[in-house]
Amino acid sequence: MGRKIFALMALALLAGCATPPPPAPGSAASKVVAMGDLKNIEIGPMRVARENGFMTVNVSLNNTSSYNKTMYYRFAWLGNDGFPVAEPDTWKSLTLYGSQSSFLPAIAPVPKATDFRLEVKTP
Amino acid sequence: MSLIRLSLLAAVALLATGCANNSPTLGSKNISYGDTKAVETVTNEFGSTDLQMIAESMTRSLAQSGTLQGRPVVQVYDVKNKTSEYIDTREITTSIKTQLMKSGTARFASDNTDMQSQVDQLKLQNQSGLYKKSTVSKTGNMVAAKYRLEGSISSIVKRSSDYKDVFYKFSLQLIDVESGIAEWMDEKEIRKTTER
Repeated sequence: MGRKIFALMALALLAGCATPPPPAPGSAASKVVAMGDLKNIEIGPMRVARENGFMTVNVSLNNTSSYNKTMYYRFAWLGNDGFPVAEPDTWKSLTLYGSQSSFLPAIAPVPKATDFRLEVKTP
Repeated sequence: MSLIRLSLLAAVALLATGCANNSPTLGSKNISYGDTKAVETVTNEFGSTDLQMIAESMTRSLAQSGTLQGRPVVQVYDVKNKTSEYIDTREITTSIKTQLMKSGTARFASDNTDMQSQVDQLKLQNQSGLYKKSTVSKTGNMVAAKYRLEGSISSIVKRSSDYKDVFYKFSLQLIDVESGIAEWMDEKEIRKTTER
């Protein structure tokens, strides 16, 4: 009996250590390239549209901590083949106030951009 | 004794290979190439990240606005520097022109800086008598600009014992030359704060 309980506990602990499944293709999470752990910044749903021939993206962000948080981000614009179609964007810094929810808009530099990635780093 | 000598020799050889430079580089280790897209916060003054952010946001906003239909010809004027700093505003203009060109939404007429070379080349081709008539670019065929792109950058600097705050505001407008109407305007604000 004791052994069974021990075995069950060991299994439960190991399951916790298992790596999470990769995000589903086409989901918002699959568009985020986090460089390291994203501390206290939650990336929410994204709205993608094509306005006047250019792809536009709007990403919702949420600061889950009660302190101001700075993050560095940039968008990478990809073509149909998944490779970049333009020079990399410049890195930008954004500060979110404690518990703030905000939106991050972006416009593609060239009309042939059909996909994007959001590269984020929290210092 | 010979074992000690051997081990000493091996240690020296290991050290020597460690000091050897196997990268294709030449020069001192103090100098290295950096990332041109990195966020630069060396000082509070106008920097490379500010230039890049302005050019990026202004060109994308203009390209995506739909005002530039059919790749019109645009004449770009120098950005007026209304700040108290030295800023090479021509570089802001050049970046904006380059990115607009790459987006495929506009074409540019010779601006005031290129006009002299353009006129000199035309005069040389047409009046010097040096060139074959069939290859000469004739005068009187330059395409005039449909739009004018003008901008200015200003700053507000505030200092206290704890903070130095610099607020930049860059505004850009697209004006139809014939009607004089501004068809598109946008602005970019940047705040840089130094906490002492």
